[in-house]
Amino acid sequence: MNQTVSWEWELTPQKKWFQLELNDVYNYLGLLKSFVKRELIAGYQQTIMGVFWLVLQPLFTTLFYFLIFSRIVKVSTDGIPPLLFYMSGSILWSFFSDCLSSSMYSFIHNAHIFNKVYFPRIITPLSMVLTHSIRFIIQFAFFLIIYLFFVGFGYVHPSKYLLFLPIVFVLIASLALGIGMIVSIFMAKYRDLEQVMNFILRFVMFVTPVVYPASIIPKAYQLWFWLNPITPLIESFRAAFFSTTIPHHEFIWLSIVTVILLFFIALVIFKRNEIKVMDTI
Amino acid sequence: MSDLVLQAENISKYYQLGVLGSGTLKKDMQNWWKESVLRKQAEQTEYGASNKEHIWALKDINFEVKKGDTVGLVGKNGSGKSTLLKIISRIITPTSGAIRGNGRVASLLEVGTGFHPELTGRENILLNGQILGMKKSEVVSKFEEIVDFSGIERFIDTPVKRYSSGMYVRLAFAVAAHLNTDILIVDEVLAVGDAEFQKKCLGKMKEVSKEKGKTILFVSHNLQAIRNLCNRAIYLENGNIVDNGKPDAIITNYLTKEKVETLDQDYESWEQAPGNNLIRIKSVRLTPQFLNDRRVVDIRTPLLFQFQCWLFGNYLKKDKLSVSIELYGLTGECIFRILSAATDVEQGILNGSVQIPGNFLNNGYYYLSLSFIDDRGEMIFEFPASVAVDIADHRENTSVFDKWIGAVRPQFQINLDFLKNNLN
Repeated sequence: MNQTVSWEWELTPQKKWFQLELNDVYNYLGLLKSFVKRELIAGYQQTIMGVFWLVLQPLFTTLFYFLIFSRIVKVSTDGIPPLLFYMSGSILWSFFSDCLSSSMYSFIHNAHIFNKVYFPRIITPLSMVLTHSIRFIIQFAFFLIIYLFFVGFGYVHPSKYLLFLPIVFVLIASLALGIGMIVSIFMAKYRDLEQVMNFILRFVMFVTPVVYPASIIPKAYQLWFWLNPITPLIESFRAAFFSTTIPHHEFIWLSIVTVILLFFIALVIFKRNEIKVMDTI
Repeated sequence: MSDLVLQAENISKYYQLGVLGSGTLKKDMQNWWKESVLRKQAEQTEYGASNKEHIWALKDINFEVKKGDTVGLVGKNGSGKSTLLKIISRIITPTSGAIRGNGRVASLLEVGTGFHPELTGRENILLNGQILGMKKSEVVSKFEEIVDFSGIERFIDTPVKRYSSGMYVRLAFAVAAHLNTDILIVDEVLAVGDAEFQKKCLGKMKEVSKEKGKTILFVSHNLQAIRNLCNRAIYLENGNIVDNGKPDAIITNYLTKEKVETLDQDYESWEQAPGNNLIRIKSVRLTPQFLNDRRVVDIRTPLLFQFQCWLFGNYLKKDKLSVSIELYGLTGECIFRILSAATDVEQGILNGSVQIPGNFLNNGYYYLSLSFIDDRGEMIFEFPASVAVDIADHRENTSVFDKWIGAVRPQFQINLDFLKNNLN
């Protein structure tokens, strides 16, 4: 058996560190699209309100925040109309937390499929994030309509930073996807992470300027507050729409570098373990 | 020869048994520390052979598959067949060794993987096809064919959650049967679905392998399907390859080792039947002639062996034919051979039967071979291990309880005459 045959592929116990096989993902773009479609269709099947839930959800949340934080607790909104303020915070945060909390279950919720058929596993968290992106865009459009109404009456006015909006959006998605991918790998073995993550997500929401503006944070905590990579992103979003002060550039850059680095680490960890974890799931 | 499409080299798979509990994290950390920081072999990779907590699902598996081969994997449950298929399908990694291949692999370890209950049949065909590795355009181009094959045109726009389980399987299999890849890996999926549909699926698989030169790896407990479909078979036992070669030989070996009962085999058309251009087996059947309403074949049960075969006149012109039936025991020893009278035959169907009386064979596992001999005494065709039966023990009015010795166990009366006498 010493003939030399050239092989197209080889499966071994361990992948090389940076064997990301992204071209493989390219071959499965059709599947990715179908997964997104499935999520979108199946999510609102047999509901009476259907896709309207997408808009109702942030609307109710906004009204709820408005009632609690603006009327009862009386937190400042930095001079921004409360409706817009809470709505921007709520759709951005729920986009981030939905992306993260759905992609971190990639292995657990799809074990039955992963146990039967191969495709690059990254398709699953990616499809989650894309699904939520589409939902976000619909919610964002709704936000935009209300926003334009407020602009028309001269309550708020946009700034030049609006141009960077797509980048803010991509960064939030990448951050959620990166964390989600890392957690999904570890959660396959350690189910405790589910509880831990749910707790962390709730906690992080309160240290992120979702229901309050960054300006109310005391000087002493400012540094720690801004190290949270989502904070500059949400604040930039608001600065773009409401012409409030843009966060310090250092913090924005720090956030960008953190997100890119985290995402790359996530890719490596995920790819290296995507098949191996099937033994422990 | 470089027409190999798959090569397994020393594939082993190791599993840890037991529950992953509170100690898991600590142990993992220690192993990680040892492995990554101290660069030592971690505990996990020191595989103790007799350790209770570990199991080798596969051990040093080596084989090669050529293009166009249809390879059947046989073995008991837990012999490692499915593990092997999963490794080749990239669902789990081997613990050591490597698998190399050429061409696209699609695996069918279950029908309907990823079917979503809320989606309609149409949507699920598209989704499932893509999950199984087809391009969307491929699925679309075969859509009509798939729907035809499934036979559920009327329900194609209904969510699959409203399907009956039979419809569900039909649709799922229809998608799978139209997979078009270089290497197709099929686990015991034919077990579902009714007999008619199974036949349709087997036919489809045969068509794929014959006409399109695809390579198929196939696990089934349906030995008839393996005999029918495969040109090679691999016999696995406890994670080792016991035997690898022609399906007939492998199946005989497997049957005798694992004592699988096969009471009948039927072939619908002669193209699929075992045999050659002179003779082909239509059916073989071993029918226990139960007395009363017992349903266990034991030593008292008479057995009726019947067979039917096609004879092809253009080759077998006015000739005499004898049929030989041999009964073998578990270890391959011949218990008896019976030979029919030489009979004139032409083209047609030959029916035969023989009654094996009850209270004749000992308890144990037996298989029957059928062979055909022409008037020059030459073997025309042999059908080894055509049927196999496990005969249970039955005793009454006896004080012997250990294994009854002897190849046969006839009930010849022993006459005893006792005379009372005082030997003073």
